[in-house]
Amino acid sequence: MGQFKTSYAKDMVIFPIRQDRIGVYLLLGFALVLLPLMMAFHVPPFRTDYFLLAILLPFLILSLAAIGVNILVGYCGQISLGSGAFMAIGAYMAYKFGTGISEIGLPPLPIVFAILLGGLSAAFFGVLFGLPSLRIKGLYLAVATLAAQFFFDWVFLRVKWFTNYAPSGSVSAPELKFFGYLVATPVEKYMVALIFVIVFALIAKNLVRGNIGRQWMAIRDMDIAAELMGIRPLVAKLSAFAVSSFIIGVAGALWAFLRLGTWEPLAFDINRSLELLFMVIIGGLGSILGSFLGAAFILIVPIFLTVLPAELGIPITTGTVSHLQNVIFGGMICCILIKEPLGFARLWQIGKEKLRMWPFPY
Amino acid sequence: MSSMSAIPTMSALASTSEILLAVENVTLRFGGVTAINGVSFDIRKGEIRAIIGPNGAGKTSMLNCINGFYHPQEGRITYKGETRQRMRPYVAASQGIARTFQNVALFKGMTTLDNIMTGRTLKMSANIFWQMLRLGPALADEIRHREYCEEIIDFLEIEAIRKTPVGRLPYGLQKRVELARALAMQPDLLLLDEPMAGMNLEEKQDMCRFIIDVNKTFGTTIALIEHDMGVVMDLSDRVVVLEYGRKIADGTPDDVKSDQKVIDAYLGVSH
Repeated sequence: MGQFKTSYAKDMVIFPIRQDRIGVYLLLGFALVLLPLMMAFHVPPFRTDYFLLAILLPFLILSLAAIGVNILVGYCGQISLGSGAFMAIGAYMAYKFGTGISEIGLPPLPIVFAILLGGLSAAFFGVLFGLPSLRIKGLYLAVATLAAQFFFDWVFLRVKWFTNYAPSGSVSAPELKFFGYLVATPVEKYMVALIFVIVFALIAKNLVRGNIGRQWMAIRDMDIAAELMGIRPLVAKLSAFAVSSFIIGVAGALWAFLRLGTWEPLAFDINRSLELLFMVIIGGLGSILGSFLGAAFILIVPIFLTVLPAELGIPITTGTVSHLQNVIFGGMICCILIKEPLGFARLWQIGKEKLRMWPFPY
Repeated sequence: MSSMSAIPTMSALASTSEILLAVENVTLRFGGVTAINGVSFDIRKGEIRAIIGPNGAGKTSMLNCINGFYHPQEGRITYKGETRQRMRPYVAASQGIARTFQNVALFKGMTTLDNIMTGRTLKMSANIFWQMLRLGPALADEIRHREYCEEIIDFLEIEAIRKTPVGRLPYGLQKRVELARALAMQPDLLLLDEPMAGMNLEEKQDMCRFIIDVNKTFGTTIALIEHDMGVVMDLSDRVVVLEYGRKIADGTPDDVKSDQKVIDAYLGVSH
C-alpha cells in the first residue's frame, strides 16, 4: 500500500509520509498537553522539579540554539565558534530592552518584544562578524568567529552599561510577564520555551526547504557553481548569519530569562559555543531534526552517566565518576562520528528508508 | 598573425542570424602565463558552436571569461549588444548565461529536484518573510517553479531520481542533472564544458540527443567544449579551434577538419 501524492503542494509538505505526520502530532500533543499535566500533578518522573529544570528546559532552549547553529554551519557551511557570543548578545540586549534604556528614553518593553529585539541585536552583530566569510573560508573563518566570542566575553564583563552598572557584574531577568501573564513556575517556563521552540523550528524548516535554504546549501556544496547560477554569495552568506544569529540570540535570551534567572558572562563562554557545535555535528549537519537529537544526546548522556553508578550501587567517588564520564562521553562521540559521520539524523533517515522497503528490500 | 587570413568563410545558415555574443581580442593572463592570447570569435543566435583544442589551449578559460568568472586583461565581450569589461558571475546568470562544468559541480548534499530548483533561484520573487511562513507568494513560487522543473525532469528522462541525493548518482546521470540545472535557468546562451567527458557510448548518444533537442525545442544557443571529434563534427554548426591560447581556425566542421593547422595541432608536426 503506497502513499501517492496528487499535487505538488501535497508532495512538498514537511512530513510527506503519513506515519511521520502522525508521529509528530502525537509528539506535539504529548509535549503540549500530557507533559504539563504530568508536571502539574507531580506524576513521576516529575515528583520534583529536577527533571523539568535540569533536563527538559535546557534541552528545549539548547535545541533552539542548535537549530540556529545548524542553519549557519550545517546548511550554509560557514563554521562558527562564536555561537556563545551571539547567545550572550541576545541575553544582554533582551535584558536591556526588558529593563528599559534610559539613555534614549526607552521604557521597559514587554518581555516578548525584549526577547525578539535581543534576537535582532544578535542578528545585527552576526551579520557584522559574518562579513569576513565573504573573503575567508573553513578553519580561517572559524578563527574569525572565535574573535567574536572573546570580544563579547570581554564586552559584557567590562562594559558596565550592559549590566545596568550592577556592582557584582551579574544581572537578573526582569519580571517574566508574557502578555500580562506572570510566568513563575517551572511548568509555565517549560510552556513558554516550548512555544518558542515550536514556532522557530517551523520557521527554520520553512526557510531551509525554500528558495533561501537552497541558496545556502548551494553555497555550502559548491560556491563557484552557485555564483554562476545567479546566487549572490554576499546575500546568501549574510542572510544565513542573520537568521542563524537571530535564532541563537532568542535562545540566549530564553536561556538567561527562563533557565538561569541570574547570570554572568561566564554562562556564554567558549564552552557554550563548542557545546552547540558538537550538538550540531553529532545530531546531523543540515538537519533540523538533528539539532534536537544532538541537543538531547549532549545534555542527557552526561547526566545519565553521572547517575548510573550510584543507581547500580557501584562504590566509586563522585570525582572518579566525573572523570569517567568525560572518558566515556568522549569515546562515544568518537565512535558515533566514525560509524556515522552525518550524525543521528542520518541514522534516523536510513532507518526510515529501510522500513519503507521492509520486508522486501527492492 | 598569419592564421587570421586562413580562416574559412562562415556557413550560409549561421551567417544569416544575428550575433548573440562576440568576443574581440580577448587576452587573459595569470601572472606570467598567457592563457588566452588575442582571441576573437562570435556566437550566433540559435547555433551550436563548438570550441575545441588540445589540453591547455584555453577553452575552459574562455568560458570562464564569458560568464564573468575570469576578467580578461584586454579585449571586449559583447553580449546581446552590450559590451562589457568586467562582470560578476551572477549578473551574467541573470542575463541568461548558464553553464555546466568539466568536473561535475552539482550541489552534492541536495536532491536532484533541489539541484534543479536552484536553477530557478533568479526567477523566484517571494521575500524572506513569506518564505518563513511558506504561504502566499512563497508557496505559489515553489509550486509554479516545481512545475517547470518537472517539465525539465520529464524532458531529460530523470523522473526516477528526482528525490535522490545527487552524490549517490552515477557519473553519467550527474552530468544529466547538471544539464537539467542549467536548463532550469531558461538560458539564452548555454555553455557546456565537456558534456560527454567520461561517458560510455550510450550515455554519449543520449547526451547528444538532449543537446540537439534543447537547441531545437527551446531554441537555446549552445557553446560547447568537447574532445570527442565525432560528436563535435556531428553536433555543431561552427567550430572554433584554439591552441596555446590562440585561435588557429574557425568555420564549419568540414572546413575545420581539413585545415592543415588543426591537423598539425592535433596530430603534432615534425619541425
